[in-house]
Amino acid sequence: MQLFEYAIVNGVLFGLFYGFIGIGLNLLFGVMRLVNLAHGDLVVFGGYLGYSLAVDAHINSLWAIPLSIPAALVFGFLVYHATVPRLRRAVDTETASLIVFFGISQVLEALMTMIYGANQVTLPSPGGPVSLFGQDYPASVVISAALSVPALALLYLYLYRTRIGLATRAVMADEDEAVASGVRVRRVAVWAFMIGVAFATTAGTLTAFMLGGINPTTGSGLTITAFTVIIIGSLGNPLGTVVGGLLVGLASSLSLTQAYATEWTAVVPYVLLLVVVLVRPSGLFGATVRRA
Amino acid sequence: MAHRPYRITTGLAALVLALGGLATLSAGSADAASAHAKAGTITVGTLYASTGAYATSSMPEYAGLQFWAKQVDSHGGMYVAPLRRKEKVKIVAYNDQSDPATATSLYDQLISQNHVNVLVADFGSVLTAPAITIAKDQKQLLFDVTGSGTSFFTSGSNPYVVLTSLPVSAVWPKPVAKLLIQLKTKRVAILYCQNDFDQAQATAIQGFLKAAGITPVYFQGVPTTQSDYSTLVQSIKATNPDAVLELGYPNNDIAFLNELKATGTHFKFVLTPFLGQLPSLFTQDVGAPAVNYTYTYAVPPTLVINHVNIGLGLTAFVRQFAPGKPSTVNFLDVAGYNAGLAVQAAFAHATSMSQLGIRAGITAVNGKLQTLEGTFKVDNTGEQLGELLPVAQAVPHGKGFALKIVYPATPAQVKMVNAKAKYPAPTK
Amino acid sequence: MPEDDATPADAPPPPTPHDAAGADRTGRAAPSGRIWGLRAREGRWVRRVVPVVATPVLLFFAPHVYNNLAFLTTMVVYVVLAEGVNLLYGFTGYLPFGYVGFFGAGAYGASLAVVDWHVTGLVALVIGGLTAAIIGLVVSPLLRLSGAYFALATLAASQVLYYVVANEPWTYGESGMSLPEVFGATETYVIALVIMALALAVTVAVRDSRFGLSLRAIRSDPVSAAMAGIDVVRARTAAWFISAALAGLAGAIWAIMTAAFYAENPFDLTISVYAIVFALFGGVRTVLGPVIGTVVLYSLYQYIGISNPQYFELVYGLLIVGLALFLPGGLGSLVTGSAARWRRRRTRPVTGALDGAAPGGGTP
Repeated sequence: MQLFEYAIVNGVLFGLFYGFIGIGLNLLFGVMRLVNLAHGDLVVFGGYLGYSLAVDAHINSLWAIPLSIPAALVFGFLVYHATVPRLRRAVDTETASLIVFFGISQVLEALMTMIYGANQVTLPSPGGPVSLFGQDYPASVVISAALSVPALALLYLYLYRTRIGLATRAVMADEDEAVASGVRVRRVAVWAFMIGVAFATTAGTLTAFMLGGINPTTGSGLTITAFTVIIIGSLGNPLGTVVGGLLVGLASSLSLTQAYATEWTAVVPYVLLLVVVLVRPSGLFGATVRRA
Repeated sequence: MAHRPYRITTGLAALVLALGGLATLSAGSADAASAHAKAGTITVGTLYASTGAYATSSMPEYAGLQFWAKQVDSHGGMYVAPLRRKEKVKIVAYNDQSDPATATSLYDQLISQNHVNVLVADFGSVLTAPAITIAKDQKQLLFDVTGSGTSFFTSGSNPYVVLTSLPVSAVWPKPVAKLLIQLKTKRVAILYCQNDFDQAQATAIQGFLKAAGITPVYFQGVPTTQSDYSTLVQSIKATNPDAVLELGYPNNDIAFLNELKATGTHFKFVLTPFLGQLPSLFTQDVGAPAVNYTYTYAVPPTLVINHVNIGLGLTAFVRQFAPGKPSTVNFLDVAGYNAGLAVQAAFAHATSMSQLGIRAGITAVNGKLQTLEGTFKVDNTGEQLGELLPVAQAVPHGKGFALKIVYPATPAQVKMVNAKAKYPAPTK
Repeated sequence: MPEDDATPADAPPPPTPHDAAGADRTGRAAPSGRIWGLRAREGRWVRRVVPVVATPVLLFFAPHVYNNLAFLTTMVVYVVLAEGVNLLYGFTGYLPFGYVGFFGAGAYGASLAVVDWHVTGLVALVIGGLTAAIIGLVVSPLLRLSGAYFALATLAASQVLYYVVANEPWTYGESGMSLPEVFGATETYVIALVIMALALAVTVAVRDSRFGLSLRAIRSDPVSAAMAGIDVVRARTAAWFISAALAGLAGAIWAIMTAAFYAENPFDLTISVYAIVFALFGGVRTVLGPVIGTVVLYSLYQYIGISNPQYFELVYGLLIVGLALFLPGGLGSLVTGSAARWRRRRTRPVTGALDGAAPGGGTP
């Protein structure tokens, strides 16, 4: 029973983090129909930034969060203008973006290998074990999960309490109608792109904590996890992403407690995804069921 | 509609052009081949992975092989018996990016385009597998450095593969099982990663233990990609084990030890396989205090073998390989160098320059060759039988840790034992 | 997908000179009605037979140019996969991210057949194809999904399949299999070429048949297609099975070539990504596009891998980004100058109108 409780809490902690990882990706897809295969690599890039600060500058790696945000915004702005206008003109934006971002992911992976080498790097733990509900959890995991909550709250405020957030949601719901009612799609798209990238790198600063370490190839796995999370919670629905993250986190954690299920841990998110989309073809929080 | 036939002609033209591009490919590599024919050097073809999952292990192994070639050439080359003279060595190497499909075509490239004399495989079973096939197909001698997958050596006798380092995965954990029995552990927990390498070890240890009447209280596999060990550690803790074996790849071992550290979990006996192979990586990623008292396989350079009859002894190797920085030398550097020595021995005793003639050189020295990894002995499938590994334990040493051999695998290693196993491990 | 109306900077009018050139070309070819002195009817057969026969024949001689059979066989295997992606994505609009699942299933089925049942090579190939088709049947409910949901659900399914094969002792996938030699290296290459010819023939058949026409109708608008009397579900499922079986055959011959089965290799997701990138890069909805895309990109891959390994990923990544951004219609568009236009006209009759309206129709 004690183990069960431990797994639940651990699942929630990881679930929050998964939601954090997924949310930036969902923003890009929801607004621009971009399939960002480089998302996980951006996340890992953020992680390396934190690593550099901790190891080279000898300051707490969490400083990477405020420092990475402006850098990510600028980077996002540049990448947006280099790629998105052309992609949006493509016959099929979804697939065209898939190729372009696959290329970007290769480039990022190569750059990270050149700068940081191929070895796994880890960050020193930010402190001793933290006690929650009578059991000990690694401080790194608790802190990361705790930081995911305000990040998700900030995005919520952006989407639901600002004018541009309203416009963003309008574009996500129906771009045609949004345009017809006077929404400036490009402005929405630039900001969504920049914020999406910033969320990726910020979540990234926590990955070395959550995953025990990072290496240049960590990104591709994270991309798939992020996609799984946002599909379960419906594309274009930020709140759904949080729920999707929690579901994946809980299911994975619980499967680790069961004999014979441990070897299937990696499959759990995929099975969850298949079950969800077969029952509800547009995810748990899809507004409309897509035509068959 | 009518303009479409046009597109087929142009399409085919493009295809022809692309084939022309292929011609450039072979023209580029033909240089290397003709260079070999003219200069009369012995070419050794190999692959390395500068990126991807295997880079951590592949790069040091490649560095070791390069060091060997440099050493040989500084002595005017190596003796080639059929030619009755010394020849320089040239390494032709390509980067497979840890991708087996790429590795397949690059191995073929080395044989069909570069016409290398012998092939040395990249690190690990996954990247070695395609080379095994090609070696058999094209009747090309392959020196397999660390690809100890059990399925490589089961399909009858194969003269074209020689495993140079480490016995196969199913053999080498025997000393661990014997140590556990000696320490009278009753409750053993085994957590392994689902890959050929770790799974074979887990099953082998389970078998050895069961034969001694010990049934593991926890025996679970996890995907090799597993990074979150928190729930797993709690599950293992719940079984109240006397000993915990975590059998993974370097990243798994590091994540596991870090999890123990972060939650302050203490077990009486913890073993991870890669600590012995990559101690400096573990110092950097886990830190000495958390590594202390962990058990591992003792491999060179922890295992010091200076009684050799080919190449450098371990101490000399470490000094010359990384002058001033002995702690940066790891097992895979040694393994790469050792593969070179096997090549050298094969040529020194080869009966002809044909591939089987070179293999006959291995047969001639089989069981007699003493390298810095121990006695070199392969069976007729090419499987390594010598080089059994003792068990070592990390103990505090200054600010860091030192690996001390606590249990020997062979009678010859008994005198190497330089510490008694600290069991149960003191709390940190 | 509507264009970015409100922002002229992002959506300039379509390049009219380009269009004019296309029309010009059409104009030149059309009045004569003859290609290489053939009548339209004969010309049509030329269009059908030439790619199917000439491509394998040309590639058959490739070993004389560049004698690396492992590379060439892998390349031909990728051509088959790219054509499979073409059939599915090009003609039905379904992007199968998890396409590698069929490839892996084929490799697995063939390996098991060789190792365990000791069948002959050709039987193993058929078993490989069948295994993939059966998997196709099992996962066919996924066809209810669309767009990115479909793409990622197939990915999930391929991963589930991978873990089933890789995790269970009874599948023999756990510790890998070593295959005995089934075909010689040259034989393997020739068989791969035959499979490729089959893939090309199927693509030509689909392109020129009523079946292909109905697929394209479904792609542009499934609802109208259904109203026009097309059995949408059946047509889609048929394309799905054909595509799955092709990938299965490709996987089978690949397993026979590598003569080793390690589940993580044939189920590696990068295989899917490469097949898709190659197909799109060459140009889908054409017969030769995926062939050219694969030959060019995979040769480049090999070339960079041999000549400048240090910056391999970087160069390859930049190349893909550049090509995808500046040649969005695939290489086919470069070759003919009108492929993209043709494609637009074929599949999205309304796009032209939208594009035309874009500069004026923006809302401030």
